[in-house]
Amino acid sequence: MHTYIDKIREIASRLLKEEAVEMVIGYQEGTLPMISPPMSVRSAEDVEKLTWSSHCCINLANYLTDIKGKVAVFAKGCDCRSIVNHIAEGKVKREDVVIIGVPCNGMMERRTISNIFGDEIEEVVEEADGTVIVRGKGREEKYQKSDLLRQCCRVCVHKNPVLYDELVADPVAIPEDIQRYKEVEKIEAREIDKRWKFFENLISTCIRCYACRDACPTCYCPTCFVDEAQPQWVGKGDDEPDVMTFHILRAFHTAGRCTDCGACVSACPMGINMRAFTKKLEKDCLDLWDWEAGLTSDMRPALETFTPSDPEDNFK
Amino acid sequence: MLTHIGIEPERLQFSWISSAESTKFIDVVTEVVEAVRKVGPNTRLVKNMVREP
Amino acid sequence: MRILQIDKKDWSAGLEKSRKDYTLIGPVKEGNNVSKFKELAAGEEPDFSITTTTMSPKSVVFPQSEVMFTFTTDSASADCNIMKVPEKSYSPRAVIGIRPFDAVAMKIVKMNFDTPDYQDPYWCDAYAACTFIGLAITDPEACDFSTSTGTGPFDTSGLDVLLVDAGDYYLAEVVTDKGDSWIQSASFDQEADAESVEILHSMRKEAKKKIESTVEFANIDKKETLDLYNEKYWDSISFPCLNCGTCTYVCPTCWCFDIQDEMAHKNGRRMKNWDSCMFPNFTIHTTGHNPRNTKLMRVRQRFMHKLKYHQSKYNMGIMCVGCGRCVTSCPVNIDIREVCKQMNS
Ligand code: SF4
Ligand code: SF4
Ligand code: SF4
Ligand code: SF4
Repeated sequence: MHTYIDKIREIASRLLKEEAVEMVIGYQEGTLPMISPPMSVRSAEDVEKLTWSSHCCINLANYLTDIKGKVAVFAKGCDCRSIVNHIAEGKVKREDVVIIGVPCNGMMERRTISNIFGDEIEEVVEEADGTVIVRGKGREEKYQKSDLLRQCCRVCVHKNPVLYDELVADPVAIPEDIQRYKEVEKIEAREIDKRWKFFENLISTCIRCYACRDACPTCYCPTCFVDEAQPQWVGKGDDEPDVMTFHILRAFHTAGRCTDCGACVSACPMGINMRAFTKKLEKDCLDLWDWEAGLTSDMRPALETFTPSDPEDNFK
Repeated sequence: MLTHIGIEPERLQFSWISSAESTKFIDVVTEVVEAVRKVGPNTRLVKNMVREP
Repeated sequence: MRILQIDKKDWSAGLEKSRKDYTLIGPVKEGNNVSKFKELAAGEEPDFSITTTTMSPKSVVFPQSEVMFTFTTDSASADCNIMKVPEKSYSPRAVIGIRPFDAVAMKIVKMNFDTPDYQDPYWCDAYAACTFIGLAITDPEACDFSTSTGTGPFDTSGLDVLLVDAGDYYLAEVVTDKGDSWIQSASFDQEADAESVEILHSMRKEAKKKIESTVEFANIDKKETLDLYNEKYWDSISFPCLNCGTCTYVCPTCWCFDIQDEMAHKNGRRMKNWDSCMFPNFTIHTTGHNPRNTKLMRVRQRFMHKLKYHQSKYNMGIMCVGCGRCVTSCPVNIDIREVCKQMNS
């Protein structure tokens, strides 16, 4: 971790000093344990504020869409794919961003650790061997990092940046036995009524703050369909059909573009795993069109293209 | 995905029908109507406007 | 007023008894991640192990979505174009286990909905129906800075009764007549002895000391509004913000709402839904012009409103009770305590 941080600061400082970029986007230390919020650095003196941890859950590609001028951004595997997606969709110009790839060993959410530990946490220390020591008031526990990882990180096969100008460290190894779609298959195996119940239950605590949408790099529409007043596509209250409609439609809009970065889940104040919607679409894109988002900027996302050989099993 | 989250597959069906294929159109529509009748009135994603506070 | 002693053995029976006169509302967990105030079903008890609920109890009087009235545009109907307020029950509700800072927040929200000139009937009727049976905080959470905001873990100023967990029993400090009515309805009648009263006082001191998080506001009041407005730090504070509005939805003192009509065929209803100054939609005009069109402006607005405008314009203090919810819920850790520090420096 420390080698990462040193390297990150070194690169940021160099780019700013050389005036290669106007701004560097990275992560800073939070005021609470287990959170590393995004930050921007504009001068070389401030690079000491940049950090790296296993809690860099927010996807920094999200911060590129409205920025003018040349910027550098630190990007994990998934962030990097989201940037590629931005480039493919013409949202960001390749020449405007310096991508500093960060090979990723997976991120852990504050909520997961807190739920497992039970009490209030004062400090979390990560050892090089993958042990995580959690300290609370008068109590200390040891865990394996692999048991605390976010769901999306457990099934991630693109931990290494796919497009970058510079790397912070050597690529990390990808385990071979990852079952990418175990979660989806578990839902698929259920009967239809049980599936509906599952999704109903999943969103039952949603407060429609839209943090999931706001944290998502693919959700960059100037006016989201839920905010539209004329026509009003969906009611603004807390009725379940409206909440469900929001989730279904948002998921559809990310189809073939979602990189399963998990920022939406990490951002949700209610801890809702709305990846249950998007992961299915990711699987379908792979199964039906052999498409994975953000691996190349030369092709348009799956739902934007058509070839005569597309499968038509659903057509009668 | 709609089926995945529990919307009955009968309610969303796709078909290619050319404007010249009138009999196919009739057959498909009849089939769809029958299929939807079988699953009954929709209860999912239906808003109850008279919901009391 | 008087102080009672309630044996924990008698607690459930008392609660049940009070149901004949009151609807009970209290904190409950929903799954692993969420806790909120809800109506307690028969036999269900408020969960006192939760200190700060994920969602604040403001929804007890100010639901996220509320139907104001219904109407029909069907000219064949005798009720055509007549607005009808749906049947609502404002029978007494006892909010059991509300924390002192949240009860103070209710009073802050009251300044908005219940003014000498205008009263929001939905809010006022619901508020009047409530009896607040508070629970003192003996084990404050790390983000609780309520002693800095003028309230505190044992503050009774927003409450009708204050309960203190003293091990095998609760001490109940009755603050108002309303509170006394609930106590009588629950048939709690054992007066606390002098020793127990002593215990209550020392616990109050202990709890205050346990709050380590402190914030200074004094200079914010003295500074010129425009100077604060033009500060450079708003840029770095607002950079990570997602404009998700979570901070305002979880906040017990945020009161903004939006009015929406919903129509199905010829039947419609008017809804009052929570809104948030963090949403770009909050300020957009019908012309398309948006006076607060950047995230910096919105973030600044939230903090300035809470910490500066409210005090300097109305001389009614700051609009924050220090519950710490926005600190723990913000996905990008924008921490009001840090912002105060910068504004106060
Ligand atoms: S972030 Fe969570 S609570 Fe907010 S709208 Fe999304 S799912 Fe709902
Ligand atoms: S939907 Fe969620 S997982 Fe997918 S790209 Fe957006 S934030 Fe990431
Ligand atoms: S919760 Fe945090 S990210 Fe969301 S609007 Fe508030 S300050 Fe911004
Ligand atoms: S501003 Fe934050 S700390 Fe203050 S009352 Fe609201 S949620 Fe609590």
